[in-house]
Amino acid sequence: MDIKFSEEQEMIRHSARGFLTKNCPSSFVREMVQDEKGFTAELWKGMAELGWMGLIIPEENEGSGLGFLDLIVLLEEMGRTLLPGPFFSTAVLGGFTLLEAGNEAQKKKFLPPMVRGDLIMTLALNEAESLYDPGSITVAAKKDGENYVIQGTKLFVPDAHVADWIICAARTGPGGDSGEGISLFLVDGRAPGISRKPLNTIAGDKQFEVVFNQVGVPKENLLGALHQGWPPLKKVLQKAAVAKCAEMVGGGQQVLELTAAYVKEREQFGQLIGSFQAIQHHCANMLVDLDGCRWVTYKAAWMLDQGLPFETEASIAKAWCNEAYRRVVALGHQVFGGIGYMEEHDLPLYFRRARVAEAAFGDVDYHREIVAEQVLSHGVF
Amino acid sequence: MNFNLTTTPEEEAFRREVSDFLKAELNEELRRQHALDKGLGPEARAFNRKIGQKGWLGLGWPEEYGGSGGSLIYEVILIQEFARHEAHIPNEIARYMAGPTILHFGSEEMKKEFLPKIVAGEIEFGLGYTEPPAGSDLVAMQMRAVEEGDYFVIDGQKTFNTESHYADYHWLAAKTNPKGPRHESISLFVVDQRAPGIDIRPLETLGGERTNEVYYDNVKVPKSRLVGEKNKGFFYMVNALNYERLALFQMERLFPTLNRLIQYIKETRRNGVLLADDPVVRNKLAQLVVEAEVGKCLEYKALSMLLDGRIDYEAGVVKLFGSELRQRLCYKAMEILGQFGLLEEDSPWVPLKGEIARLCRASVVDTIGGGTSEIIRNITAMRGLRLPRK
Repeated sequence: MDIKFSEEQEMIRHSARGFLTKNCPSSFVREMVQDEKGFTAELWKGMAELGWMGLIIPEENEGSGLGFLDLIVLLEEMGRTLLPGPFFSTAVLGGFTLLEAGNEAQKKKFLPPMVRGDLIMTLALNEAESLYDPGSITVAAKKDGENYVIQGTKLFVPDAHVADWIICAARTGPGGDSGEGISLFLVDGRAPGISRKPLNTIAGDKQFEVVFNQVGVPKENLLGALHQGWPPLKKVLQKAAVAKCAEMVGGGQQVLELTAAYVKEREQFGQLIGSFQAIQHHCANMLVDLDGCRWVTYKAAWMLDQGLPFETEASIAKAWCNEAYRRVVALGHQVFGGIGYMEEHDLPLYFRRARVAEAAFGDVDYHREIVAEQVLSHGVF
Repeated sequence: MNFNLTTTPEEEAFRREVSDFLKAELNEELRRQHALDKGLGPEARAFNRKIGQKGWLGLGWPEEYGGSGGSLIYEVILIQEFARHEAHIPNEIARYMAGPTILHFGSEEMKKEFLPKIVAGEIEFGLGYTEPPAGSDLVAMQMRAVEEGDYFVIDGQKTFNTESHYADYHWLAAKTNPKGPRHESISLFVVDQRAPGIDIRPLETLGGERTNEVYYDNVKVPKSRLVGEKNKGFFYMVNALNYERLALFQMERLFPTLNRLIQYIKETRRNGVLLADDPVVRNKLAQLVVEAEVGKCLEYKALSMLLDGRIDYEAGVVKLFGSELRQRLCYKAMEILGQFGLLEEDSPWVPLKGEIARLCRASVVDTIGGGTSEIIRNITAMRGLRLPRK
C-alpha cells in the first residue's frame, strides 16, 4: 500500500503550480470574468506547450498517453488558481468523449489539433427539462438523407462562444430507461443555424444557451453508434465528475491555506485568533473535510486507471466533495470575518466557483441515488 | 498510488489465514462477549490464548521476548481482519500501550516478566489513567505514589477504568512528584490488579458495558514495578503512539452493521413500500455509504503514513471521523427503522437483534473516550495546520 503520488506526478504538479502561480493570479481570474472571451491566446498557447491538452491523449494521436490520475494532479492545480478558459470543456469533455465514442478517423482528425492547442471543444447536453438525464432529452437529430439535422435548445453549454466544435447529445430514436435513442454528434461551431446567448451565472464562468436551428451534420460526424450515445457519454460524465472533484480539492486547499495563514497573523483580544479554540475547530473541520475530498477523489481516479469498476466511487467522490467543499468555503468565510465577504478578497471567487462545481455533472442527490442503486443491487458495501 | 492494503502473495495468504481462523472460531457467544464485555468470559480468554499460540499477538515484536518479528503490515492485516469479522482485538492495552512502553523503557527484568506472557495472550492489562479530576487533562490526576523502602505506597481513586474487572494488571499512572513541573510529576506502574488495598466498584454505562471505579487504599507496589524512570510517566504516556494503531480500524468496524442495515432495507416493507424503493431511505443510506467510504480512504491514508513511519495528525482524524460517523449511522438507522429501532435484543419484534438500539446507546461515548472530539480538533489544528497554542 502506498498512498502518495509518484515522482513524475509530483513533477507535473510542481511545473503546473509554477506556471499557474505566475500566469493565473487572482487578478487575472477577475479580469477574465469581465472579459468576453474569458481567456487569453497567450495563456492557452503556454498550456499547450506544456502538453496539458494532450496529457491523457494516446501517443498515437500525438498526446502523452498518461493516466487519469496524472490529469487529476493537473486539474487540482488548475482548481487551486481557478484557471479560467475552456481547458475542462476541451480536454475533459471533448477529449474523453472522442476517446470513448470516436472512431479512428475521428480521433485522427480531432485529437492532434486538440493536443496542439489548435482546437477548442465542448459538450451540449443539458436542456430546460433535462439535467444529466438522457430520458428527457428532446433536442432532436432527424435523418436528412445520409446526414442529420439538429433542432432544439441546449442550456449550460460551457465555452460555446469559443468552441470550434460542439458535441451535441440529441435524440434520434425513442427513449427508454437506460437512455436509449440518444446519439452524439460533432457539430461545427461555425455551422449555419447555431446561435448562442451567454448565461449570467453566479461565477461569471462562460456558460451558454445554444440554439440549434436546422443545423446540418454530415454522417461522418456521428460519434459512436446511432441511438447508443448514452453509454459512452455516461462514462465521460463519471470521469468529468471526478475531474471536477479534483478542481474542488485544489480550490479547497487554497482556501484552507489562506485561512490558516490568516489566523496566524490576525489578532483580536490581545492574541492571535488561531489560538482560539473555536477558530481551531473550524480550521480542523476544514482540514478533515478537505482530506476526505482529496483521498476519495484520488481513489476514484486510481480505480479508473487500474481498470476497476469505479462508477460507485466516482459518485461517492462527487457527493462528498459537493458538500464538503461547501463547508470548507463557508468556514473559511466564517474565520475571515468581514474582509472575506468583500469582493476584493479572493474568497468570494472560490465561493462562486464552488457553487458552479457543485452543480456540475451531478449534485449531491443525483450521485446519492447512483450510490443507492449500486449498493442495493449488490446488497453489500 | 496504490490503495490496496495487501500487495504480495505472502500478505494475501496471511490475510486468508486470519480470515479462515476467525470464520471457524468466532461464534455467537464469543461475538457477544466481544461486543459487550470485551473479553470478560472464559470463552473469550481461551480464544485469546489460541491467537497467542498462533504467534499473532507478537507480530512485529522482538523474538527475544517471544515475538515473531516481521513487519508492521502483518499486524495491520491482522487488526483489519479482526475488525471485519467483528472480533475484539485481544489484549489491546497490553499490546498497544503497556507492552510497547515496557519494551522501549522498561527494565530487562520487567521485559522478561511481561512481554512473553502478553505475546502468548495470557495476561490482560487494564488502563489506569482517568480520575474524577483528570479526564482530558490527565496531568490533573491526584492519585499519589509515595516511596517507602522497597515499595511505592499508592493512594487514590481512578474512574472509568474499563478493563479492571477482568484484567490481571493495572497499567497505572500516579503522581510521584506532585509539587514538581506538570510534565515531570507522574510515574507509570504495573500493578497486580488483585493486590490488597484495591477495591474495584462497577459502573454501568448507557451503552451497557461495565466500567469501574478503582480505589487504592495504602496499596504497596514493589519498586521493581515502576516502569522506566520515576517522574517520566507523562513522557511515556504521550509516547504510546502505538495506541493510535487501534484507532485506525474504526471504519471497518462499521461495515458489518452497515451491510446488515442494507439487507434490512432490501427486505422490509413500511407504509406500503419496500424501504429499498423509498427515495428518502435510499438517500439516507447512500449518504452513510458515502461517508463510510470517505472514512475508509482517510483510514487507508493514515495507515499508509503509519507504514512509512510518518504518521502525525492523521490518526486523530480517523478516530474523530469514525466516531462521529458511527453516531450518524446509528441515528440514521434509527430513522430508517422507525419504532422498531427502539427495540432491545430480547424484545418481541426486534429487528437486527437489537443492534441499532444498543449501538445508539454505546456510540455516545465514542466521541468522548480515547480522546474527545474537541481535544482531537485542537490537536488537528495545531499539528496539521501549525496553529498556535497562544
